[in-house]
Amino acid sequence: MLEIQDLKVNVAGKPILTGLTLQVRAGEVHAIMGPNGSGKSTLAHVLAGRDGYDVVGGSVLFDGANLLELATEERAVRGIFLAMQYPVELPGVSTMVFLREAFNAQRRARGEVELDAVEFIQRVRDKAKAMQMDDALLKRSVNTGFSGGEKKRNEILQMSLFEPKLAILDETDSGLDIDALRIVADGVNALRSPQRATLIITHYPRLLDYIAPDHVHVLAKGRIVLSGDMALAKQLEVKGYTWIDQEVAA
Amino acid sequence: MSVAPHSVEKLLTDRYPHGFVSPIAADTVAPGLDEDVIKFISNKKAEPSWMLERRLQAYRHWLTLSEPQWAFVQHPPIDYQAISYYSAPKPPGAGPKSLDEVDPQLLATYNKLGIPLEEQKLLAGVAVDAVFDSVSVATTFKKELAAAGVIFCSMSEAVREHPELIQHYLATVVPHTDNYFAALNAAVFTDGTFVYIPKGVRCPMELSTYFRINAANTGQFERTLIIADAGSYVSYLEGCTAPMRDENQLHAAVVELIALDDATIKYATVQNWYPGDAQGRGGIYNFVTKRGDCRGARSHISWTQVETGAAITWKYPSCILRGDDSIGEFYSVAVTRGKQQADTGTKMIHLGKRTHSTIVSKGVSADSGQNTYRGLVRMSARAEQARNHTRCDSLLLSDRCGAHTLPYMEIRNPTAQVEHEATTSKINEDQLFYCRQRGLSEEAAVSLIVNGFCKEVFNQLPLEFAVEAQKLLNVTLEGAVG
Amino acid sequence: MTTTTQPRQWFLQLLQHAPGADADVALPWLRKARAHAADALAKLPLPDRKQEAWRYTNIDGLLQTNFTPSREELVALQAEDIESWLLEATQSYRVVFANGRFLPALSHFMNLPEGVVIGSVRQALSRDPHALAIWFGQTANHSDDVFTALNPALCNDGLYVHVKPGVTLARPIEVLYLNLEVDAPLLIQPRNVVVLERGARAQLLERYMSTGESNYFHNGVSEILLEDNASLTHLRLQQESRQAYHRQQSFLAQGAQSQYDFTNLSLGGKWARHDLQVRFQAEQAKCQTRGLYLVGDGQLQDHHLNILHTKPGNSSDHHYKGILYGKGRGVFDGRILVGKEAQHTSARLVNNNLLLSREAEIDTKPQLEIHADAVSCSHGTTVSQLDPEQLFYLRSRGIATSLATQLLCEGFAAEILTTLALPSVQGYANRIIQKLLHHVGDNREHIHYATATTQP
Repeated sequence: MLEIQDLKVNVAGKPILTGLTLQVRAGEVHAIMGPNGSGKSTLAHVLAGRDGYDVVGGSVLFDGANLLELATEERAVRGIFLAMQYPVELPGVSTMVFLREAFNAQRRARGEVELDAVEFIQRVRDKAKAMQMDDALLKRSVNTGFSGGEKKRNEILQMSLFEPKLAILDETDSGLDIDALRIVADGVNALRSPQRATLIITHYPRLLDYIAPDHVHVLAKGRIVLSGDMALAKQLEVKGYTWIDQEVAA
Repeated sequence: MSVAPHSVEKLLTDRYPHGFVSPIAADTVAPGLDEDVIKFISNKKAEPSWMLERRLQAYRHWLTLSEPQWAFVQHPPIDYQAISYYSAPKPPGAGPKSLDEVDPQLLATYNKLGIPLEEQKLLAGVAVDAVFDSVSVATTFKKELAAAGVIFCSMSEAVREHPELIQHYLATVVPHTDNYFAALNAAVFTDGTFVYIPKGVRCPMELSTYFRINAANTGQFERTLIIADAGSYVSYLEGCTAPMRDENQLHAAVVELIALDDATIKYATVQNWYPGDAQGRGGIYNFVTKRGDCRGARSHISWTQVETGAAITWKYPSCILRGDDSIGEFYSVAVTRGKQQADTGTKMIHLGKRTHSTIVSKGVSADSGQNTYRGLVRMSARAEQARNHTRCDSLLLSDRCGAHTLPYMEIRNPTAQVEHEATTSKINEDQLFYCRQRGLSEEAAVSLIVNGFCKEVFNQLPLEFAVEAQKLLNVTLEGAVG
Repeated sequence: MTTTTQPRQWFLQLLQHAPGADADVALPWLRKARAHAADALAKLPLPDRKQEAWRYTNIDGLLQTNFTPSREELVALQAEDIESWLLEATQSYRVVFANGRFLPALSHFMNLPEGVVIGSVRQALSRDPHALAIWFGQTANHSDDVFTALNPALCNDGLYVHVKPGVTLARPIEVLYLNLEVDAPLLIQPRNVVVLERGARAQLLERYMSTGESNYFHNGVSEILLEDNASLTHLRLQQESRQAYHRQQSFLAQGAQSQYDFTNLSLGGKWARHDLQVRFQAEQAKCQTRGLYLVGDGQLQDHHLNILHTKPGNSSDHHYKGILYGKGRGVFDGRILVGKEAQHTSARLVNNNLLLSREAEIDTKPQLEIHADAVSCSHGTTVSQLDPEQLFYLRSRGIATSLATQLLCEGFAAEILTTLALPSVQGYANRIIQKLLHHVGDNREHIHYATATTQP
């Protein structure tokens, strides 16, 4: 599904990704770990199509098409969802209205049937319940006055609503307590299917205990320097990231 | 990386659906202004002599004044002698007694404007006083309102049928000496709306008036007076559209609101005057004096406006908080695009004790639009424990537009409290990215965010009109993202 | 509408007598500047209430007085005489002016580092006129109003500071503008020029003081030029006579990445006005200004800011607080202009006022004029009074009303005083303000105490 070849990205003139290569197939869950500054968030944002990142080399194919050519919303329509690390507030914009607008916009673009108000509200309520999110939050402005945990849960709620092909989680676990973590993990696991893939970007291996990735990669200095499975994550937990520097140098 | 650019030209031409002219014969007086024209107007309307005297007095005063100059608003000089001051359609009979007698072409005009009177009668139960050019044509629901004791009629009719009310209240809030346009209006106003709500009555329905300027070079000088007697309540909406023209059209209205003890007046305006073409030609000049007098104790006057049209907007709906414990409010959304210029704001004059005022002003500028908020909060020496809270936010949608905030605060009472905050910024990139990542196009995202920005003001509008206002905002902002 | 023609006549008369006073200054560029100013003086309208910049200010008293320019040197002043006025007695470079005249005997700048000139403008004119020629008149615009033109036309001396690139002044520069009591009302017009070249750093402490309650008109103009990476920390303490008129126009130009940290404590004067214009000439500079004004009986304190963000990427932050009591009147006019090119500007302006009495009055007008979109600009204004709940709390702990009043006012002023640019002056500043506020608290009849409202 996702083929990243030798991707090089600069931010404000500085090279952040220095030749990243990664393949994600449908049905797989990949975890990307790395120290701060290694380029994890950059990768997430470049895949989602955010302005401010200069791709200076390499390619990204999504379902065989050149992803980098597409506008942000076009990528969303094709099934890419980014659960953000710092979800922004939209004052005055009702959460329910926002969700419905986005949901139907995506359906329209794909030529699919839009949901009417009643069906949609019910669907959202059900999902909110599963996320243990108070109904009242749906009536408020998007993320406005939400706690950190509520914002993250809102991201996963949206993810389960939009049912993306490729879900990218950018440090979703940061700032969550154990209970919230479990709920988020349940939401992610509920979406696992042979047609979908998930890319989890995280600094700590905690979340991975609940999600069990198929592949674990370590991103350091803008490239993937080590790949493995859950065992690699466990090693990192014990040895920390400096161990990576030594491994790589060797 | 960027999205495909929008075609501004296409959107500008097809976004103004109301551009057309009614081919109806109008009884128009030749352009120019002198005492004879004024006598002609007064005569046409069969006014009593005291009304003509007032007009002439105002006209003579106007001759001594000169047009005000404002820092941020520029326009070619207006030739007051080139405007025709009277234009009325000629109905077949003496005057319509019911909708059936109204010139069918006029009704068709109203249908095109989207306010079919028949439908209105059935649906929301909103009475419509449709002012066609300078004379009121149809006044519906008079009987139902009359049962409640509410007087809702044209100004012309009020001068004839309720002279004692007119003589007692007219021009007591905006005297002809107030400013240049007030003097002009007092001399040449041809019609408008008169509302009187008797003691203790809650007006049973939302009142509204639609306006339209038709004949070329006809300035629109309507005069509105709303009186809410002790303990009464009224909610009034004013909405306007106008056809395309090459010459600029002047709109110098005066609106006076008087609220007595424990009375409430809510006045909302959704304005959609023609803003001019891409070069700024041909739009409406909207110079309006609107003032509310919270005359009684515990009275409440609230102004809500959504301004998306007009080439130039110059209006400062104000409240004089005279009665103790009175409340004044101003909620405004002003959108400027193309070459539009808006210099608008409010004046809250606190005279009485424990008076409160709230100001929420949201300005949205795009293209080369210029948006200025000019406000005055004055706490007089007697305004014990008066309170004001002001919030002015400006959103810039292009790098060529301008947003200016000029609040004046004159405080002469030590128990008064004033809080004023203003911010100016563009749409947050993070917010745009968030919406787009969820599949919304850039335009849909901007629309959503700007609507959220204006939400606080829209919430003040009567429900039916809040929806219309949102639609108006979306249509106005099409293609604005630069 | 013109006010009396007398003031202009008087000023023009003064001009006619002026050239002779500076015969030693025979520099063409200076003569040209003076001529230009004289020209403006003849043509510019006198301030009146119809002009926006003078809308709230009534200076009839000033315009009706015929001031005489200060001329004579006052050599009678000894070092001991001014000891009590000085703050940083041994730790700073010191420049002393009396009635606008530089007193070299009482000033000292020993051991100045290489590349630093501190002294008076006249001194600089005679020693190194070319250096001064480069900077003089660079920053100020003369066309604004009559007083701005009056200064260069008739000024005679002022502070001159020039720091060469890369030089850091370890010790602050303390400037004392002392006004001594004389019989006739004096016209004192210093023209100050402060230049910090690339990467230079300095601290400046200016004090405006008076020995008595004399009536004089201090009409000063300061030009401050900060080149790239220069940094100036500036504290201005205005304690003029309560009968005096004080108007200071400061013009600041900031180069790339320069920093200006300014605190203005405005306490004296019958009418005192400070105009600060800041112009950003490049990017990434920071301008931070703070002010505290105490306005009592018969005083009018006027603060005007004109912050010109004409270039992108600069940030400015301005915070002014005022305490008004008795019949005090305050005017605050803060304008932030963001030009079309000035993307990524960050500008913030806050004005808080504490209105203590019935007769006190504040007119405040923060303005934002924004022509660029990728900016973050805000302003906020408040007018409030002593919180009766807080007063009650203090009194319930045994503190008398007058002291409680003083403490609450000090609390209000603390935000400015605790962030004073020069920490060593903080103690002194605290003391004088405390004294003034003590006086305020003691005069209870001037203060309006609201009754606490009981919450349902």
